[in-house]
Amino acid sequence: MIGNRRIFAAVAAVALAFGAAACGGDDEGDAAGGSLTMWTFKRTHVEALQQAAAAFKAKTGTEVKVEAYAPDDVFTAKIQSAAQTKDLPDVLELHSGGEDLRVGGGGLLADLKGDFDGKLDRFLPSTRESGRVTQQRKDSVEELSGATVGSLYSVPFTAGTFGIVYANKEKLKAAGLDPAKPPATWEQFLDYLKATTAADKDQGGLSLGLKVTQTGFNWIYEQLAFAYLGQQKFVALFGKGSAAGFGSPDGVKTLDLYAQLKPYWMPGASALGIDEADIAFAQGKSAFNVGGTFTLAFLAQNNMKPENVLAFPIPPATGGAVSDLRLAPLALTGLSVTSTSANKDVAARWVDFLTSPEGAGIFAKASLDLPATDLGTQAESLIGPDLAALQQFFTGPAQNTYDAGNRGFRPPDYDEVEMGDPLLKLSPLGEADAAGTGRTLDTVIKAMWDAK
Amino acid sequence: MTAIDTTTIAARLVTEPRRTTRRRRRALVGYAFIAPAVILFLVLGLYTIAYSFGLSFAKWNGFSPTWEWVGLKNYGDLLYADPRLAPEIRNAAVNTGIAMVAVSLGTVLIALPLATLLNSVTRLRGLIRSVFFLPYVTAGIAVYYAWRYVLEPDGAVNLALRAVGLGSLARPQGFLADPDTALPTLIVIMIWGGVPVAMLLYLAGLQAIDPAVIEAASLDGAGPVRRLRHITWPLLVPITVAILLLGLRDTMQGFQIFLIMTNGGPGGHTDVLGLEAYQQAFLQSLSPTLGVASALGWLIFIAALLLAVVNTRLLRSRQ
Repeated sequence: MIGNRRIFAAVAAVALAFGAAACGGDDEGDAAGGSLTMWTFKRTHVEALQQAAAAFKAKTGTEVKVEAYAPDDVFTAKIQSAAQTKDLPDVLELHSGGEDLRVGGGGLLADLKGDFDGKLDRFLPSTRESGRVTQQRKDSVEELSGATVGSLYSVPFTAGTFGIVYANKEKLKAAGLDPAKPPATWEQFLDYLKATTAADKDQGGLSLGLKVTQTGFNWIYEQLAFAYLGQQKFVALFGKGSAAGFGSPDGVKTLDLYAQLKPYWMPGASALGIDEADIAFAQGKSAFNVGGTFTLAFLAQNNMKPENVLAFPIPPATGGAVSDLRLAPLALTGLSVTSTSANKDVAARWVDFLTSPEGAGIFAKASLDLPATDLGTQAESLIGPDLAALQQFFTGPAQNTYDAGNRGFRPPDYDEVEMGDPLLKLSPLGEADAAGTGRTLDTVIKAMWDAK
Repeated sequence: MTAIDTTTIAARLVTEPRRTTRRRRRALVGYAFIAPAVILFLVLGLYTIAYSFGLSFAKWNGFSPTWEWVGLKNYGDLLYADPRLAPEIRNAAVNTGIAMVAVSLGTVLIALPLATLLNSVTRLRGLIRSVFFLPYVTAGIAVYYAWRYVLEPDGAVNLALRAVGLGSLARPQGFLADPDTALPTLIVIMIWGGVPVAMLLYLAGLQAIDPAVIEAASLDGAGPVRRLRHITWPLLVPITVAILLLGLRDTMQGFQIFLIMTNGGPGGHTDVLGLEAYQQAFLQSLSPTLGVASALGWLIFIAALLLAVVNTRLLRSRQ
């Protein structure tokens, strides 16, 4: 009897082991029966997406289950493992202009050309082609080597731009500054910073999530350098074997301008993540904060009243090529349908709804994030006057407009993190001077060109 | 042959197959019990080891249908060939080396006196031991976040230093944003997390020393310092070697604290090899860098293997 018990126990143990292994198998059924699953890497989008999903269900009867996986490394690992186990959702929200193309080139995304080519005019002009495989992208993105030119791996979902400065009006007032008047030049901006830090040494500075080092380069330096140098010389900074690179007199001048921020960073800025820097600003630990159009929603979620915020683009330096800097909106995230989806048509309909004026309106109102869909005259009523006001910085003459989405002139293997690290050593760390930083950046750019 | 012998042989002939069957059954039961562990090891151990070894010679992003074989290129890029990657790896290797040595030595230097003190205490020893053991029980992500708050520019450490008149030691940028203090601060926190286990090991070692030996030395006129130097310390050397090597290995392979508290910053001053491998694998916007990450993982493994060999040699030499 005891022997039998042992045998049963052993068999049960083996069965348990196999059972546990089996638990990792495909989780079928989500996509069946008219239901869809969608993954996003932005937790702040979940509630708004759920509201849009409720409206979609009322219209079509299809239920959409929205799941968020954050931060980015978790989302990346989730996609990688799901791709291996063939357990991807029907729809993905991905970073535009790179991640979507890589995932698409890897064969995980469906081509949406047939579904959306006739509908792209609903989006802001500069975002329409963000998910398209072009010859230039095919040449520079390794994963697209087998892709067909013209394929559309994502449609733009949220849009915006970097390089927006947010100022705390109360702190401006306390420093004797006019809270309704943004600084018109870089020099004035430095004067503002000087005044606010003089009024409050510890909590009157500038916050930015420099733990993610590329923020300094992408959100302040590029706009500043573009405005000072103008389009042509700015592009030359990134050129192959360029004599007009970051170490050239012009390049060093722009780095010198950036280095002028050194006394004004809030204490500990280099140890702050992006969200932490925004939260610090919302909590009154800094007078200025740099972010993107998407930052306003996050500040509002962290109890900072939009009416207490003065927003303006990075001001151009005096004597530069551009005195009225404009910032072209780019697609920040896109929506993609996975190639493994059992309900591709329904998934495409959900993406269609989400990017329609109706769906985008629901999403924008609930998330306070700018959709890539052009909301036209409804914009102010849907996203509120403060966010709508940011759109004024989007339009202007082409020569005055910095377009972060224009990546064509950069090396194919361009890695923004490698540009951010030397800039951090220039300011706030002060471990290198402008000339040395210029030489380092030129070396990095050369290595990126040589890598291809 | 007598009748009794015949009966015995007949009985054996009947019982022997039964015993064999029973033995086989027992063996089967035994194999069945270890089967889950063996299967899990084969699936999660050998398979993943072989997989990652193969991957270290390829370029892959984690989802493309095929790997692109690149031979030893990933290893070459990490060690010298890639002008962008190799300097980063060298910087991370230096930081890792500094942390390994400092954490291991610091742990021993704090844990041994603590254990000696605790061994000499007769009252409330259990309570004090539990208090000393708290950092080990609580160490983890939540504690790392708590440390971050404590080390901020307006955190408790700066406030305390200013309050006791040591404001010159306070760091206006906070301890983690200052390039001069970021790595030393993380080393102190790692020592804080490693001391409890080391102290317990030392305590066990101290309690295993025969009191008669100490007593005999005392009778011979040896003072506390001589007793510690010539009797206690030699007996604790094997434990010290084990603690040092555990500390070296943990610091070489672990990177959670670096990821959570500084993410390698500011400006790469706290970048370590484990963190580099993680960043190459998961923070490259789905670029095909899993092979490089895997190669780096194998380089770390080789270093760990060398440490293990040194460990074995040292322990053998003590024996």
